[in-house]
Amino acid sequence: MMLTPPLVVPILATPFGVVPLPEAAAGNAALATLFVARMRTDPRPTGQDPHCYRSGDDLLDWPEPAVRQAGAAILRGVCAVVREVNELPEAQLTALAVQARGWFTVVAPNGRVPAANYPLTAWCGVYCVAAPEASATRADSGVLRLYESRLGTMFADASTAAMRKPYTPGHYGWRPVPGQLAVFPASLTHEIALLKAATPLVLVTVRVRFVAPGQLGLARW
Amino acid sequence: MSALNVRPLFAVPFGEARLAPCERLNHELEALFLQRETEEHRNPSPSHIPQAETFESRFNLFRWSEPCVQELRRFMLDAVARMVIETTTLRAEDIARLKFHNHTWFHISRHAGSFIAHNHPLASWSAVYCVRAGESVPGQPDSGVLKFLDTRQGADAYIDPANATLQRAYALRAFEMQLTAGQLVVFPSYVFHEVAPFYGRDTRITVATNCWFD
Repeated sequence: MMLTPPLVVPILATPFGVVPLPEAAAGNAALATLFVARMRTDPRPTGQDPHCYRSGDDLLDWPEPAVRQAGAAILRGVCAVVREVNELPEAQLTALAVQARGWFTVVAPNGRVPAANYPLTAWCGVYCVAAPEASATRADSGVLRLYESRLGTMFADASTAAMRKPYTPGHYGWRPVPGQLAVFPASLTHEIALLKAATPLVLVTVRVRFVAPGQLGLARW
Repeated sequence: MSALNVRPLFAVPFGEARLAPCERLNHELEALFLQRETEEHRNPSPSHIPQAETFESRFNLFRWSEPCVQELRRFMLDAVARMVIETTTLRAEDIARLKFHNHTWFHISRHAGSFIAHNHPLASWSAVYCVRAGESVPGQPDSGVLKFLDTRQGADAYIDPANATLQRAYALRAFEMQLTAGQLVVFPSYVFHEVAPFYGRDTRITVATNCWFD
C-alpha cells in the first residue's frame, strides 16, 4: 500500500530575515573608521566589558553621512522584513511611524555580547560592518545566536534530537556577513557568541517598533 | 483595606549549600582533575561545540574510586536528595526506595573559557559544585559568572517604572552567581544556564551533576 506523503508545515514559527544592504555596505569602511575613532574619544561606560565596546543608543541620530546612509538602509531592511511577514495592507503599513534606537558594538577577540532581548520593542536588527574570517577551530565564533524559544524542549529522544531545520531543537546561529542585516523579533533572547579571531567584529544593532496614528500605550524608551 | 497577601507562583526552586571546611578536599580534587585533563578522560561526545579553553571530562566522574571523589559524591548527591525532600511531598524513606542515577563530570576553564546556555533533558535535578573559583578580574564582574536564564520568557516584554525594579525573587532578569570554592547550587534541570567567559589567568574548576530517579 502506498502511503501518501504527509503534509508537514512549520507552525508557531519565529520569523528570521536576512537582508543584503549594498547601499550600507558601500560605507562599511567609513563606518568602521568612524566607530574606532569614537571608541577612542568616547569614554567607555563604567562597568562595561573591556572585550566589548557598545556605544550609546543614539547612533541613528548621528549626522555623519555614512551613519545616515547605513541607518536609513537598515531601517528599510527591517521594514522589508516586517512587510514580508505581515498581512497588513500596504496603506496601513506605510501609515505607521517607525521608532528606532541604534548603537554600534565592537567585539574584540575573546569578547562577546551577553544574551539580551528588548522590552517595548517589536523588532531587532543586527547589521554587520566588519567581520573576521570564520574560526577553523571554533564553529560558533562570533555568531549571532538566537536562543531556543519554544516550550517543551526539555524532553528529548532519538526521534527529536536530530530534526531538520526549521524543526531542530536548540539555539540557532547566524554568522554575520559584512553588508548583511539580520532581522528577528526583539523578544527573542540572543547573543553574540565568544569571538575567537585576530580582528574585531563590528556590528550595528537597532531596536524598532511601529506606532499607528493616534496609538497610545507605548512608554518612552 | 485588609492586608495584601503576596506569594510567588510558578517559582523555580533553587538550593545552595556550602562545604566547610572545603580546602583539603578541593586541593585533592584539583590535583586529581589536572592530572586527568587528558584525552583518555575527555568527554568523547560533547553535546555542545567544544572549545580549547574548557576541558570537559567524561560523565562517569562519580564512578571513580578515589576517596576525594567519593567524598564529593556524598556531599553533592545528599544535597540533591535534600533538595527533593524540601521541594516535593517525598520523604527520605520514599527517596531511599528510588534508584538514584547521575551523570557527573568536571570542567576546567582557562582564559576566555565559557559554556553556552543549555539545559539538561532527561534529568530532573542538576547541581554545580565549585572546586576553584579562579582569579577575580578587576573591572570584569561577569567573568566566570554562572547565569540562570529567566524561565518566564516574554514576561519582560512590557517594562515601566512599576515593574522595572521588582524584588529579587520576582525580578524580570537572569539570576547570576559568582561561585566560590566549596559552594554548591542545586536547580531543576529544565532551567537554561550558562557560564560567562572566564578571564582569570589561572583556572576555574567545577563539578556538575545531572540526576534522575526511577
